This record gives sequence, structure tokens and C-alpha cells, in this order.
Amino acid sequence: MGFMRIVFIAWRNLLRNRRRTLITAFSVAFGVLLSVTFTASGDYTYTNMINSSATMGFGHVTIAAKGYNDTPTLTRRLVAAEELRRQVLSNHEVENAYVRIAGQAMFAAGVKSIGGQVIGVHPLQERPEHNLFIRSIIQGILPADSESTGALIGAKMAEKLNLRLGKKLIYTLTDRKGDLVSGMSRVSGIFQTGEDMVDSSVVLLPINRLRRLLGYDAGDASLISVLIWDQRGADLVRQKLIGSLQQTGYEILTWAETQADLAGLIAIDRAGNYLMQFLVGLLIAAGILNTLLMSVMERTREFGMMMALGMSPVQVVIMVMVESLMIGLLGLFLGAVITTPWYIYMAGTGIDFSSQIGQDYSTSGVLVDPVMKFRLFKESVIGILAGVFILTLLAGIFPAIKAGRVPPLASIRGI
Amino acid sequence: MENLIQLRNVTKIYQQGKVQVHAVQDLTLGLALGEFSALCGPSGSGKTTVLNLIGALDEPSQGTILLEGNDLALLNRTQLSRLRRDRIGFVFQAYNLVPVLTAYENAEFVLALQGVPAKERYDRTMTILDEVGLAGLANRRPDELSGGQQQRVAIARAICPEPAVVLADEPTANVDTTTADGLLGLMEKLNDEKRITFLFSTHDQRVMDRAHRLIRLTDGQLTGDEVRR
Repeated sequence: MGFMRIVFIAWRNLLRNRRRTLITAFSVAFGVLLSVTFTASGDYTYTNMINSSATMGFGHVTIAAKGYNDTPTLTRRLVAAEELRRQVLSNHEVENAYVRIAGQAMFAAGVKSIGGQVIGVHPLQERPEHNLFIRSIIQGILPADSESTGALIGAKMAEKLNLRLGKKLIYTLTDRKGDLVSGMSRVSGIFQTGEDMVDSSVVLLPINRLRRLLGYDAGDASLISVLIWDQRGADLVRQKLIGSLQQTGYEILTWAETQADLAGLIAIDRAGNYLMQFLVGLLIAAGILNTLLMSVMERTREFGMMMALGMSPVQVVIMVMVESLMIGLLGLFLGAVITTPWYIYMAGTGIDFSSQIGQDYSTSGVLVDPVMKFRLFKESVIGILAGVFILTLLAGIFPAIKAGRVPPLASIRGI
Repeated sequence: MENLIQLRNVTKIYQQGKVQVHAVQDLTLGLALGEFSALCGPSGSGKTTVLNLIGALDEPSQGTILLEGNDLALLNRTQLSRLRRDRIGFVFQAYNLVPVLTAYENAEFVLALQGVPAKERYDRTMTILDEVGLAGLANRRPDELSGGQQQRVAIARAICPEPAVVLADEPTANVDTTTADGLLGLMEKLNDEKRITFLFSTHDQRVMDRAHRLIRLTDGQLTGDEVRR
């Protein structure tokens, strides 16, 4: 008997108890809805957090002086960083790259002082979409150019040091040789990200002024912050850069290495997410198993008769497996029907949780969007499809084997 | 005449709890090609067991069964399955059609199992359905057919693959007198025209009256073998 014939009989078998088939298929569809909800909210939130973190200075991929990631001191320099940046930008997966100096510093105004982080930037190169501090400016502006005397400081720092626009900010840091040096800037702008730790510690200064203060050469920096079009490609871009960049004396790291806390948090959250989905999958598989088992028990005589007529046990097993897969496919179709409007709404509008968690909720130093939205990556869709396929296949194995083991004589005796 | 089916000293013992039931005892029997025979005897005489043994649905405790010269004991499960599919037709007391398939689909079921091409399958099945008087009901499901019509479909299913023998277990037990006469007439006609061998189990006097050979069983033993034509 050909496979299509078996498929045909399997389909008719499912139709003989339409209500039961539909209920089971809807349980699969509900599982698809839950799976999409878990996965799509994860895909959206994780991407949001990673992108947000990337715009706080280090990018999705960071090219830094060797050892800088472990010990981020200003004595570690990335030599000829500007030339490296030009090479990085030739990679089509790279959206943009920024040369930066980043290190610890003491900031003082009047008699007050506070520890924090200084980031040297090219004001004319920086774009708000790649720089959280610039797009969070609430007063003033970014220093006009890389030679400017301006400084962009966080709102909390301004509050603690009693600073306003135009006021003097003194900063003290170690130069390339490890000697203490100090500089002075005037506050040109104030930003507020909502993350207190960031708003009370970060100061953006023009990179060339900082270079001179630190004794760096013209093209030197601490790191190159590489922003890519799709955060999922960080490893790939890293590998490509390792293969393409000519110079030595640097290391290339992904966001997962420079933002290890965030990577750990996402990994734990994702694992919990997968566990939940697995449990939901188990429940659905149990439902399919129950339906198919009932259906097989009801048809014992029928299977016996079919085998008496010459149908092989393997063909009977295949028939029941096909029934299981058809329930899965029907469930996927119904799942797509009920999930699509939900997905469209959540991808566009989402649910605003700001009244519960506030506007400034952050974790691992990264702001979390209080509006829960959906985004589903292609690999997630494939994962959900494959998951449903495998679950229905697994759920069908036991009933199918049971059907294939029906002894023809015992089942038709008394017919 | 060479025997199509040969049973040599066949015994079948069932274990029911601690009791051994001798369903068939030392039965030696031969059936020639084209016979229209009936196994008769009271309930529990071993008629169905003999059909099951010949139909390769059960194995004898002792003795040998040959079908077209092949010793059934020497065949594995797959070979037995193919033998049932290709050489044996079954007609069950309760019709036993697949409820989700139409009369046509039921009748062609074994042909589909054999992998007969669709066009040939259609031609052969429609011819047989026409012969059993069901050509106009080919698209009906079993629950849309009467008992007699269902049994006709079962007969069509049994003879479509042109088996060596059709084994029919009480084929008239669940139908009324008129229908039973019609079914017997149909099987007689098929036996006559197509030389298909029929072996019934029955205690229906009408079947016994029309059988060409009457094999009597009592307590699993052969107690009579009467050839009438």
C-alpha cells in the first residue's frame, strides 16, 4: 500500500471523531500560542537589552587593547585605532564603529568629588541611535567637536556635584604611563538614562582633548565600539574581524564577553523560558498521546482485521504515526490562525507594564523596556515548528507501536 | 486432483487457565482447487479454528498445513502476511469493513495493499462490484449500507485480488433469509465462473444444502466428509 493511501486512510480516521480531533488540535494550537508568547517576548526583550547595552559604550563587538576587558585601565592603549576603524567599517555586517577612550576617573566640582567613568568620543561621528547618552540628553548638547572643552554628564552626577550647564568639572585620571593627570571641562549637556548607576557615574568628553591629556598618540584609543545590524551576528562578525584585521595587539570580544552579567542573566532567563515551553510541550504531548491511545484502543479489531487481510504491522504503525503528525499539522495551522492577530498586536502595540515596574526599570545595568512587545526571529519560528513536529511524533510512537502489535487473530476472534 | 490445501494430522490446543482445550484433534484433510465446501458442526466443534489455521492467522500445536504446496510453519511473519494478502480471501461473520472507507475503497483495499496500479485497481474493483450488484453503491460508506450489502462488499474485497481460496466464517449468520440466499447464489456463481475455491464454516442448513462438499466436525475431530457434486 502506497504512502499516500496510508495518509488518506489516516485522514479519514481523524475525521471519524471530528470533535476529539479538533479539541486535540486546539490544545496543540494553544501550545503554539504559548510558545510564540514566550519566545517572541524573549526575542524582543533580549534584543532590546543587548542593543541598549551595546549603545552604552562597548557595542555588540568590541576591539580593545589586549587585557583591557579584564583590567580596563587607561595604560592599555589600542594603537592606530582610527585605521582599525576604517578596516572594520568595510565589513558589510557592521552598521557603524566608534573609536573611544574609556576608563576610571574622579570627578570634582567645588569641594565635592565622585568616582566614575570617562568616555572619550568623537562628537561629530557619534549618532544618537548608537549612543544611549546622546539620545538621553535632557539639557544642553554634546560637546561641539573633539577639541571642545565641553562635557556631557549624567543627571545624578550633576545633582551630586551641584553642576549646571556651563559649570566647571574637574577630572583626574591616570595617563598612559600611570601618572595622575587632571583636566577641566565645562558642562555642555546633561543626560538622564533612567539608570541611576549610569546617570551618577558617566561623563562623555571630546576624544582629542582626552588623548592629549593622557599622552596618547593621534590615532590611539581604548577600544572600538562596533555596532552591527543584527545582534545575533556578533560571533560571526567577531570571527570575520579576526580573519580580516591586519594589525596585532588587540583582542576582539562580543557583547557576551564585555557584558558578562547581562549575558548570564539572559542565559538564565532563556533557560527558564525553554523549561516552561518544554513543560507546556509535555502537557500537549500527553493530550495527543491520550487521544491517539483512545483511538487505537477503540480500533483494535479494525487493526487486527487489516493485518489479517495482509496489511503489515509497519504499515499500521505508519498509519497511526501519520494520524499523530496530522493532528500536529492541524494544530500548527490553528495555532497560526489564533496566534497571528495576537502577534500582530503585540509586535505593534504591546502591553505597557510601566505602571507596575516604572519607566526606569533596569537589570544588570541595562534599562528594560516597560512595554512588553513581540519579535520572532526566523530560527525561533523554525524551533517552534520543529518542536511541535517532534512532540507530535514522539506522542504518536507508543500508540502506533501498540496498534502495530495487535495480534490479528485475538482481535478478530468473535467477529 | 492435486490439493490446494492440505492439513496433515493437525492438532490445535488452547490453554484456558489451567485447562487445555483441544479445539482440533489430529485432523487430516485436503481441499482441491475450485471446491465449494462447508465445514459444519455444532458450536465449539472447531470450525473457526480450522479456518484460522488455514488462513495463517493461527499456528497448529501439531501437524502440517500446506497451501499450494507451501508449509505454513516455514514462513515468517512477513511471508505469512503476504500470503494472506495475495492468496487468501477472508469473509467475516460481522462483515468487518473499514468504517471510514466507501464500498469501493473497502473492496479495493487488498489490491491497494498489493500495490496494483490505480487504473487496473479501479477496473477490477468496479467489475467485481458490478458482479456483486453494488456498482451503484460504490461511494457509500458501510453505515449507509444494509447488512447484506455490507457482506457483498466483504465478498468483493475477498475476491478482488483473485485469491487461491476464500475462507468465509459464518457468512450468512447476520443476514436475513432472502439476503443469505442472494449471498450464497453470488458465491456459487463466482465459484462456478471464476473457479475460486470457497470454504465456509457454518451451521446454517441453507449453506450446507448448497455446499458441494460437507466436512463435519465434532469436538475438533473429523466425523464426516461427504462430496455431493
